[in-house]
Parts: sequence; structure tokens; C-alpha cells
Amino acid sequence: MLRASALTNKTQIDLAGVNGDESAAGTGVEFGTQLMKFAESVATRDESALKAARDELLQVAGEAVLVDAAGVAANFQRMVRIADSMGIPVDDMEEGMGKQVREELNLERFPSAHNSLSMG
Amino acid sequence: MTYFEYKDCPVTIREDIKQAHRQYWDKLAAPGCWWTGIERAAIAQEVRNANTCQYCADRKQSLSPYQFEGQHHSSGVLGKIALDAVHRITTDQARITQDYVNNNTNSGLSNEAYVELAGVVVNVFSIDEFNRALGLDLEPLPEPVPGEPSHYRPAQAVSGTGFVPMIPADGATGAESDLWSKERTGNVLRALSLVPDALREWLEVFAAQYLPIAGMTNMFKHEDRAINRMQMELVASRVSALNQCFY
Repeated sequence: MLRASALTNKTQIDLAGVNGDESAAGTGVEFGTQLMKFAESVATRDESALKAARDELLQVAGEAVLVDAAGVAANFQRMVRIADSMGIPVDDMEEGMGKQVREELNLERFPSAHNSLSMG
Repeated sequence: MTYFEYKDCPVTIREDIKQAHRQYWDKLAAPGCWWTGIERAAIAQEVRNANTCQYCADRKQSLSPYQFEGQHHSSGVLGKIALDAVHRITTDQARITQDYVNNNTNSGLSNEAYVELAGVVVNVFSIDEFNRALGLDLEPLPEPVPGEPSHYRPAQAVSGTGFVPMIPADGATGAESDLWSKERTGNVLRALSLVPDALREWLEVFAAQYLPIAGMTNMFKHEDRAINRMQMELVASRVSALNQCFY
């Protein structure tokens, strides 16, 4: 979806931000570095990092951005739990962009990849 | 009591988020399809217990989730199988397998009850995560409403996609016609469809915290959001990557 939204917006992004590269996260995405660090601290449940990331995002981007980012992060904290607890496979493993992104980010290293790869 | 007023919150929370969280708390307290209100509230409490459960923390670090026996930090309302399912989904979901779900079924936790339980877990976890992300205290859990579960099961649910039966893509008909339009769905939408109300509850929170399903194809900035779609997807992707989400 990140790549799809960047293509639609005709914006150059760097997917390495998804794997935690701070400068990559800032490429083409406003407040990208701060958003990435905030997302990371929510997912890792590191409370001191979360406070620092929250304060920084609030300072540079404002409270409306912080609240929206908290909503998205909270939502995606549960998405993986649904997908894995129900064992759902990826809808179309051969779809071009999805396949490319999974390869680029090496997502097959995740244990739950089995739910999709075993369907092939 | 009015929940989710966010009176002491230093930042302004969007009204649709407050509303979605309140609506979910009302539904959480009421009897569901397979669990009573008391049991649903107990599931919610166990989501919170799981986050401070030493057994879960130790098990997460072990090579196999079956490496050693232990006792969950528990409030004692749920049975052993349901309790473990709540804690597993909350803290170690990546290692849930078909065998785990089948063994639970053989031990008395039906697929339907498991799906509703998972729906409660992910909604409560997500709402709690929103508060935690903003540095806020967790909302008190709602007072359970008496009553019996409906035991409603959609007749068109079939096995074959994931660990549990689901409504097929062309099966959102009749009483389930509101779940998705025509055949425009995906496995993540179908995941909870064995208990249609669990999916409905999930969708309401999804729409407020992220985007309404109808707006998913809009890759630009949504009018009522402060961040554009690329910003949203960067947050979503980073969270998902750290959670080892292949889907």
C-alpha cells in the first residue's frame, strides 16, 4: 500500500524505511522519519522510546498528525494478530507489486509466511 | 458512565475515534454470539493481563511455544484453553498453527467461539494500544450486561482458506449482505466472518482508527485526516514489519 500510494502520488519513496532506515523513511514522506520512529516505538512497546518519539512527532508535526498516526499504529497492531490467529494466506501471491515488495523486504523470513507459501 | 471522554488528554482526539471506541465498549459488555457479556469482559481483561504475563514473556523467547509448561497471569474467569488462546493471540500470534486451533477445538473451544474471542482480543488490544501510543491510561472495562449468547452461525461459512471456516467471497448475502459489497473482499475481511458481528465490530474500529473500507482505494489524502495516505502506509508498514506480518 505504501508503494501503491507513492505511485499514485507520483512520489519517490524508499521502502527501506519499512525496515527501520531513518533516512529512507524520510524520503518523499513528510515527517517520515518521525512517523517511522513513532510507529517503531509503538510496535516494540519500548515506553521510553515511545515517549521520545511521541514528543518529537508532536513538536514537528502537531497534535492532529500525532493522533492520526496513533490510530493507524494501533490499528495495525491488531491486523497481524487477526491474520496470524486465523491463518489467512495472502490473497494473490502472484500479483506483481505485492510479490515485488515481499521480495524486496524479504518478508518470507517471517514465520507466518507459511500460511501463504503452503497454499502455493 | 461515559467512556472515552479523553478529558485529561493533552491532545484533541477526533470525535469519530471517541465514538467508535465508545460503541465498541458497549458491544463488548453485551452478550455476543458465543460468549456472555461477563466472558467477553473477562477476555478483555486477559488481553491486559497477557501484556504483564511472565509465562507469556518467557514463552515468547523460547524456541517452541510448547517448550515448557507454565501458568498465565490470569483473573480466573476463563477456562484454561480460552485463557491460553487470549494470551497467545495477544503476545505470540505468529506461532499459532492449524494444529493449535484444531487441538483447541478438540478440547472444547469451538471455531465459532475462537473467532469471537479473537475479535474481542484484537479490538480491545487495538483500543488499548491507541491510548498507550498517546501516553494515556487505559480505559476502565465496561460493566457486563446480563444475557445469553445468540449462537448465530452463518450457514454459508466454509472451510478451506485459513484455520477456521469463513464466508466465501460471494457469500455476503442475506443477513450478511452488509459485510462487503458484491465480491469485493479480501482474506483479512473474511477472517472473522464466521461470526459476522465480530467482523462488524472490527470494521467500525477500523474505519475510525485507519480508514473506512469504502475509502481504501483513495491513495491521496482523506479530507478528515491530518496525514496523507503515504504517511499512513509508512506507519502501517513499519508496525507490520516489526510484528513480522507476512500478510
